[in-house]
Parts: sequence; C-alpha cells; structure tokens
Amino acid sequence: MPNGKITIEFNDRVVRQFLLATVIWAAVAMLVGVLIAAQLNFWQLNFNTSWLTWSRLRPLHTNAAIFAFVGNMMFAGIYYSTQRLVKARLASDLLSQVHFWGWQAIIVAAAVTLPIGLTRGKEYAELIWPINVMVVVVWVVFAVNFFWTLARRHEPSLYVAIWFYIATIVTVAMLYIVNHLSIPTSLTHSYPVFGGVQDALVQWWYGHNAVAFFLTTPILGIMYYFLPKAAERPIYSYRLSVVHFWSLVFVYIWAGPHHLLNTALPNWLQSLGMTFSLMLWAPSWGGMLNGLLTLRGAWDKVRTDPVLKFFAAGVTFYGMATFEGPLLAIRSVNALAHYTDWIIAHVHVGTLGWNGFMAAGMIYWLLPRLWSKPLHSVSLANLHFWIGLTGILLYVSAMWTSGITQGLMLNETAENGTVLAYPNFLDTLLAVRPMMLMRVVGGGLYLCGWLLLGYNVFRTVRGSRPVDASIEVFAGAAEPEAPKLSFAGSILNPPVVFSAAIFVFACAWMFGGDLMKIAGIVGAMFSLVLAYLHFESRGRRWADWYDRLLVTALPFTVLTLIAVVAGGLIQIIPTLVAGQASNMEDRRQVPYTPLELAGRDLYVSDGCYLCHSQMIRTLVSDVLRYGDYSRLGESIYDHPFQWGSKRNGPDLARVGGKYPNIWHLRHLEDPRSTSAGSNMPSFRWLLSKPADLDALPRKIAVQRSLGVPYPAMTDAQVIGAATAQAKAIVEDLRSAGASVEPDREVVAMIAYLQKLGKYEPVAQRAVAGGPRLGD
Amino acid sequence: MFKRLVLQDSAALYTIAAFSVAASIFVAVAWRALRMRRAQVDRLGRLPFETATPASQHEPDPESAPD
Repeated sequence: MPNGKITIEFNDRVVRQFLLATVIWAAVAMLVGVLIAAQLNFWQLNFNTSWLTWSRLRPLHTNAAIFAFVGNMMFAGIYYSTQRLVKARLASDLLSQVHFWGWQAIIVAAAVTLPIGLTRGKEYAELIWPINVMVVVVWVVFAVNFFWTLARRHEPSLYVAIWFYIATIVTVAMLYIVNHLSIPTSLTHSYPVFGGVQDALVQWWYGHNAVAFFLTTPILGIMYYFLPKAAERPIYSYRLSVVHFWSLVFVYIWAGPHHLLNTALPNWLQSLGMTFSLMLWAPSWGGMLNGLLTLRGAWDKVRTDPVLKFFAAGVTFYGMATFEGPLLAIRSVNALAHYTDWIIAHVHVGTLGWNGFMAAGMIYWLLPRLWSKPLHSVSLANLHFWIGLTGILLYVSAMWTSGITQGLMLNETAENGTVLAYPNFLDTLLAVRPMMLMRVVGGGLYLCGWLLLGYNVFRTVRGSRPVDASIEVFAGAAEPEAPKLSFAGSILNPPVVFSAAIFVFACAWMFGGDLMKIAGIVGAMFSLVLAYLHFESRGRRWADWYDRLLVTALPFTVLTLIAVVAGGLIQIIPTLVAGQASNMEDRRQVPYTPLELAGRDLYVSDGCYLCHSQMIRTLVSDVLRYGDYSRLGESIYDHPFQWGSKRNGPDLARVGGKYPNIWHLRHLEDPRSTSAGSNMPSFRWLLSKPADLDALPRKIAVQRSLGVPYPAMTDAQVIGAATAQAKAIVEDLRSAGASVEPDREVVAMIAYLQKLGKYEPVAQRAVAGGPRLGD
Repeated sequence: MFKRLVLQDSAALYTIAAFSVAASIFVAVAWRALRMRRAQVDRLGRLPFETATPASQHEPDPESAPD
C-alpha cells in the first residue's frame, strides 16, 4: 500500500449551492403556506383565478416544503458530512452539478405546472410524468455520485449517518418509482396503474414513507453528524444509534396503512399499520434521547449558541412528532383526528419543528465554515429561534384545538346516537375559524424568522470568500478493522440463509394450500431450531459477518433494501392480487361515462380531493352524515383513488343525486350562494372554459388497458356520448333558469359529481367462512 | 388463497407474526449492538471528529460585524 500522504480538497461548492437553494425555496414554501392559510380565512384571496386558487396552491406548498426545502437541505447536509466521514472528495464534479441544477429544474417545473392544474391527483405525488422521469434521473445521478464516493473512500468504517443516507437513497427510489407508475394519455396527463384500494394502499405506503425516508432518515443522519460537531462531543451512545437505525428502517415501512384507518381497507392491514406505528415509539424515542443526551455537559452552550438551540429544539420536536404519530395511528384516536386539522398540526410539528429547526441549525453552523467568515449576527439568529418557536407553538396549538374541536363536533350524536348533534358541516367549520386565523399568525411568524435567517445569510455571504476545506490522508484505502465481504459472501452466509429459509417457509404457511401450509409450518420451525443450534455452536461466524457487513457498502445497501422491501411486499402483494374488481362482492362501481370521466379529470386537476374526501368511514357519525359506509368495490375503477386525507368540506362519496344540477352550478360559481359561510373558492372559470373532450378517446383507451370495463368505442362514439350527456345536463339547467354552453367544463364537472356513489350490486357468491370482501 | 387472507378473522394472526418478526429483529440488533467492543464503539463514535473543521465562528468579529 502506498504510504505517502495526499491532500484531498472537498467539493464544498455544491454544498454552498444546495444551502443557498434551501434558504430561497424554504421561503417560497412558507410564503405559499401562509397564503393558503389566509385563503382558508378569506376566500377573496383566491382572486377568482384558477392558478391562485387554494386547491392548486396547496400541492405547491407541500411539494415545495418537502422536495424543494427539505430536499435541498438534505443534499447540502449529506454532501458536506459524507465527504468528511469517508475522507474523500465527491466522486464527480459533473454529477454534482447535474444533481444540483437538475433538482432546481424539477422544482421550477413543479412550480409552473401545479398552479396551472397539471397534477396526478395523489398527495406529494402530484407531479406529472415527464417531471417524474426527471426526478428519477436526477435521483440516480445522486445515488451514483454518493456510492461512487463511498467506493473511493479513505475511511473503511461507515459511520451511522452514512447508513441513514444509504437507507434514504434506496428506499426513496423504490417508493417513488412504484407510486408513480402511470400510463400517459398525453405529454401532461397520465393515469396511475393502480386503482381503488390498490392505489390507496400504494399511495399511503409511499406517502407515509416519504415522511419516513425523505423527511426523517436523512435528517437523522444529519443529526448524527452535525449535532456532535456543534456540541463538540461524540454522540451519546453509538450502540443506541445502531439499534435506532435498524429498528427504524425495518419498522417504518410497515406503518403506511394507518393513513386509512376505519376506511374500507381490509381489517388485517389496518391492524398491521396500527401495530407497527405503535412499535415506532421505541426507535424514534431512542434516537431522540440519543440526540438530546449528546448535549450532556453542553447545556450551558445552548443558552448562547443558536446552533445548539435549533438542534435541541429540533430534536425535541422530533420526539413530539414521533410520539404523536403512533398516538394518531390508534384506531379510536384516529376516528376523532383523521380528516381534521389535528393531522395538519402533526405534520407541521415534523416539518417546521424537526426539519425546519434542524435546517436552520445546520445552516448557521455551516455558514462560517463554507464562507470563512463569522456569522453576521448571532443576535439575529437567536431572534430567529424565538420568533420561529413562537410561530410553531401558535400554529400547532391552534391546529390541535381546531382539529379536536371539529372532530368532536363532527362525531357528536344525540338521541342515543340516532341523529347528529351538528348536522350542518359548516357549523363545525365556523366554530374553528378563530383557530384558522391564529394559524396564519403562527405561520407568518415562522416565515418572518426564516426571512431573518435569509438576511443573516445574505450579510454573511456578501463580500466573503468561499472556501473548500481539505484534509490530508494516506494514499490508498486504509485497512478496515474487519475484512470486506464479497457480494456473494454477503448473501451466502448463515444469518441471511436461515432468514431467507424462515421467510420462504412462512410465506408457504400463510399463502399456501393445505399441504403447503403444513410444509410451511414444519419448515419454518425446523429452520428456526437449526438457526438457533448453528448460532449456539458457530456464533462467531454470525458476528463476523455483521462486522464485515458494516465496512462493505454494497451488500449493506442491498440488505437495507431487502429490509424495507419486505414490509412493502407483505402489504401490497395480497392487496394487488385480491383487491381486483373481479373479487369484489356486494357492490361494484359503475364506470364513468366519457363526460363523467372528463369531469373527474377536472375534479383532480382542480385539487377538489384536497378538501373533499370520498370515503365514508365505518363510523356512526360518518354514516349518519354522509350515508351508507363506503365499500371497497365502490372505488375500484378510480385511477387515481380519491379517498382524500382532509375534510375542509364534506365528504362527497354519495353526493350524486343529492342535489339538482342547478345547485351544483350555483355552488361552483359562487359557493356562498348555496352554502352561507363557506370558505370554498369560486370555480367560476369552469363556466367559461371549454372541456377537452377531444382527449377522451385516448383517455378511455388507457382506462381500458388498466382494466376498467369500457365497451369498445370509436372516437366518434366517445365524443358523441359525451356531447349527448352534456346536452341533457344543459337542458336540465335551462329548465331551472341557467344558461350554459354544453362544451363548458362545468357541465362535465356536474356530470361527474352526479355520478358519485353509483354502484351495481354484485351477485353473491358462496364463500366458505369469513365475511365478504365488500363488507 | 390471497382472498382468504384478506377475509378471514384469523388474518389477525399475521399481525402477530409480523410483530414477532420485527421484535426478534429488534432484539437481535440490540444484542449485537451491546456486544460491540468498547474500542470499536469509541472509534466509530469519534469518526465525525477525525476530519477537522474550523473552530466555531459564531461569535461575530466585534469590529466587522455590527450587531
């Protein structure tokens, strides 16, 4: 091995770029957040435009917060810490720049397309398919750059922060690709390949784990690097960080179904989601305590150092959010909280408190080091902390109060549970209006704090000299404490082989026929005993394998991927196989006519699903308020599903036929003309804009390819059917005193709304034992 | 067969099985972590400090940074 020293200069340029992008995009995300919070109070702020309407801007806010703000922050933190932890410069300057500019291009593309209504209609997965292709390409560039850097490292051991980064890269790639599988109908539109319950499960498997692996694991990695650096002492317990990593990575991925509690989702999946969510308490709090205890002996610094203040508060918010999350995943708590502002409060504890404060701490710590100049003003940084903290506390306490109040009012019944205490949804909305206003104030304060950070960054950077740090290392890789594993050696070893055998036999037990079941039980037990005996006699080999795994990046990555894939597959495969229209019993959805489909696409495009759910839960209050509870089969052809996650307005699962056409027209034109006190924006442009009926033949062809049972129709038949239905609606509107052209978007929207809740009964089939699937 | 998995009350068993698997992984990892050698733990824990970073410069220069 060469023993000469070489100097490595880190690529800190790309870190600075991502850091500045973080500051800018965070401000944009927060500004849009404050605007949409204000729109909920003052509907006039929608300005009667389509592109400034709440339901178009809300996805912009969430995507900007997640992918633009936290995404850029995460990349800055990962690139800075990885280079230092592995003692190697980033592998490729070109890939680093492609990564940075590619990511900014994606953000700009999202900022343009979302307000003009180009969306896939799935939360945090709204971006249209060409942008998704860009995301995948840029993510691959990031992954290549990262793993290539690991391959060139001069430090053999992989610090736990690197583990979290590896888990982030592989898991986000898997989640993103699966949940974005779509068939395009045009350059700007596509339908997800999954529909109904399948789409719901895949979406929340993704949605929950986007929180887990985009907003949590990379930030934990950042915590494990930057917190010890700022506190100038090692992490409290490295052992605890090891347990934290593996248990978090393994458990998190299973918890997605807790977003669908009390819905038509099969019971076993709901139980699975709840159980694993509760189990998350252990690793999450282990991590939080590890972070906070790192500050032992350094608490005096917290008083004066804004960096440690932000880190201490950020980790505390992580603890709060991860206590609240499992709590909300308990079915009975969820019955109260779901679809209310409580969930919004929970999300913002995580994003503003955990991500936002960790980002601020990291930025304040990095600024002097990346620009070789003291921070412009420590006082301003401290002021930022207190303003931001006040803002969060105002925001979340308002949303907690609002959510619990509205949940209690919506669920309250009278006369022995036979009638609703508050039958008018708007009464519950009006009751929480003061809290909605406090939310604007809290969000505004948080934004002001961030603008102070922006000013501090500007003053620090102005006139400074960017510096790229460097280190001296011995040429050639250092010898690891344990020899590296070959790829084959990482798979063909006792722990993996016995685990695989137990897994295969367990699958045979669970999914097999009679003989397979017996073989599965016997095989699983036999493998378990054999594994125990082998471990007792050759335990050293198991330990050796693990030690060697920790210094070998590729097998480590593959096994991490297997750990996260297992949880996903066990939920998704049975649902994909069983959750098909042909298996539905009791009720099955009637496919939309061409005009109704056009209306549905408008419903998705205008983001109606962000305020109106289409899922009547198996709760007395839901049934009393909205009608018979939703069955699995009633949304089985919905690509994408529209069960929703928040009710700023009532559920629409059975709104079809509830009101005449003229009511919908008036309501869409001016919601307050039919619903006094409503905060819904006016969708007036639907009355003047022509619907895109020419796209329908292609859309229906794609729907057919996805399994929706449309009969074979020529293009002319499709357009003809849509036109005929539109004329009938227009005629009905005319008889009610309204005049609308039949080709307007509002006609298609009315057709869709009037279809909601229509189903066909399915002939019952004899099924031995157990309830029916549609129940 | 998958259909029965979705339907039957005994499906609750799978939740218990999944819990058991996760719990056993938790125990195995915890056991392994506890068995790590003290020297190994100390070395890994100090990895962030092996690459020197400039001393904390949060305190502004009183001459150049008005506050």
